[in-house]
Amino acid sequence: MRPALPPMLRAPRGAAVLPLLLFAAALAALGFLPLWMTSPYALHVMVLIFLAVIQGESWNVLGGYTGQYSVGHAAYFGIGAYATMMLLQYHHLAPWWGVWVSVAVAVGLGVVIGSITFRLRGPYFVLASIAVAEIIRLIALNWTDVTNGAEGILLSDIPPLTIGGRLITDFMSKVPFYYVGLALAAMTIAVNWGVQHSKLGYYFQAIREDQDAAHSLGISLTFYKNVALAISAFFTAASGAFYALYVGFVDPSTVLTVDTSVQIVLICIIGGIGTILGPVVGALVLVPLSEALRSNVIADGLFQLGVSENSRTGQFLKENLAHAHVLIYGVLVVVVILFMPEGVLGFVKGLRRRFAGKAALPAKGEA
Amino acid sequence: MIIFVQSLLSGILVGGVYALIGIGLTIIFGVMRVINFAHGDLLMLGMYLTYFFFASMGIDPFLSIVLTAPVMFVLGAFLQKVFINRVLNALPQNQILLTIGLGLVMSNTVMLLFTSDYRILTTSYSSSALHVAGISISTPLLLSFAITVAITAFLYWFLLKTDTGQAIRATAQDRDAAQLMGIDVKRMSVLATGMGTALAATAGALISPTYYIFPQVGSSFTLKAFVVVVLGGMGSIVGATLGGVVVGATESLAAVYISSGLKELVVFVLFLLVLLFRPAGLLGKSRM
Repeated sequence: MRPALPPMLRAPRGAAVLPLLLFAAALAALGFLPLWMTSPYALHVMVLIFLAVIQGESWNVLGGYTGQYSVGHAAYFGIGAYATMMLLQYHHLAPWWGVWVSVAVAVGLGVVIGSITFRLRGPYFVLASIAVAEIIRLIALNWTDVTNGAEGILLSDIPPLTIGGRLITDFMSKVPFYYVGLALAAMTIAVNWGVQHSKLGYYFQAIREDQDAAHSLGISLTFYKNVALAISAFFTAASGAFYALYVGFVDPSTVLTVDTSVQIVLICIIGGIGTILGPVVGALVLVPLSEALRSNVIADGLFQLGVSENSRTGQFLKENLAHAHVLIYGVLVVVVILFMPEGVLGFVKGLRRRFAGKAALPAKGEA
Repeated sequence: MIIFVQSLLSGILVGGVYALIGIGLTIIFGVMRVINFAHGDLLMLGMYLTYFFFASMGIDPFLSIVLTAPVMFVLGAFLQKVFINRVLNALPQNQILLTIGLGLVMSNTVMLLFTSDYRILTTSYSSSALHVAGISISTPLLLSFAITVAITAFLYWFLLKTDTGQAIRATAQDRDAAQLMGIDVKRMSVLATGMGTALAATAGALISPTYYIFPQVGSSFTLKAFVVVVLGGMGSIVGATLGGVVVGATESLAAVYISSGLKELVVFVLFLLVLLFRPAGLLGKSRM
């Protein structure tokens, strides 16, 4: 048994030093990565991974820790994207100011929606969250004067960022997006860490485990669910703004559909819900996979392995694998739900336990 | 006035098909307490099957229901046995995600096989209409409504009068008690999913002469089915019938008096209001 450290030197409850060091090391490594990894495509994939991490970690606060399965996060993502784009394109407000407005709108709307829908539970809440997102999509689609309707908004250019007359970046390459994405991803991970180790987070988890018990212990359900939603909507909207500026285009069918909401949930489900690393793992699985399918790396690989490129199968693979990434998402979800309901992370932990011969440990060792 | 009657009537006719979609969803929910997010995709498969029978063999879309429904019943039974049955005791969110995943697999497989081109199934009567007292009624809509009424009547008879139907209703009322009474609840679950799937596919066949057929058509019908079912009370077949007609009429009236782009918006607002103020549905009970 180790001698107890004096309270001052002890890490906060449940916190370990090693993960923090690893996190800092990973951040430092990722910070230097663009110095030698200059391929725009590689940077593009990294930006997509960061985006998925931000989305997943944001959803995780509400869905993972608080147990409120929103399948309507496209609403906040879309509002973040649309508001930033509209302010920049129509009112020439620089995005680093506009993003605050869009985030504020998303959080405000989120709290209004939350106050109304959080009294619903289980499947009813899921259905209500979808309905709200659909209402916002239909408004964006039909309020043509403000949102340009189905045509969407195309960004002409982002003004260069200057501080004190000194040019920081002109957003011409992918590198500035890489660093913004990295910073946001690190921030959302830190927020999840904070949630997991704070009193607030314990309230969230109490609500997830048993709402009625939490309520009877004096935890205000609607208030804390709304706090979780506000945090979640804040970063989801930020990710929407980041996406819109990076892609330079928004329309209702790319940022506001049920599919967008589902993909956000999938990042967490596939990695592991209610864990800090889960969304990171989910992003690392999903993004490279869909990129590999989209860019035909997998089809080429199969041809290398001896599948004839000119046979009927070869032709079929070549033409269709690029469109198959959503199909693969679907298959992945089914497989994950049936065979690893705690996500890839939970599955790996289970395997590790089994091989370490500690199968007797409770399955939910770490929350 | 004539415009009001006209739009109300065509709304009710469309509502009949919505009712059929909703009844399928509500039977599955009633027996297994699983919300089927792939319901619209099953309807989409029904549309493609109908299109296939029509395009390759020239079978009338309304007649081919006798082929489509059994095929889809088998598919539904298969989905229950292989997938849904494994998550019956899982968290509701996992059940939802599983069916979302199954839906994605269905719509994207169809997209790979048949591309995402819009297909149109044109019959000799697709654009014909009956004119009665200044009101015109589309023939395919009228036919599909008649078939819906017949199927719904048959379904009520089946669930109320036959032993199997009563066993399904008993399972929906209380799964454990039904099992204690010697009802094979596993078989009832398979039957219910098969029936729900066949009903969704039938609805798909019925709307195929009047709607575009494409792989992503399902998701809007999934959402509509939720609205229909929640409106009537989850698990209630009478409620789903009523809910379908209410949604159809609301859509049609909103399209005429507000704007056709906003008809779905009105339906979703109605949906939220019902969820908030009458979560047990308009009829106030969530039993079959």
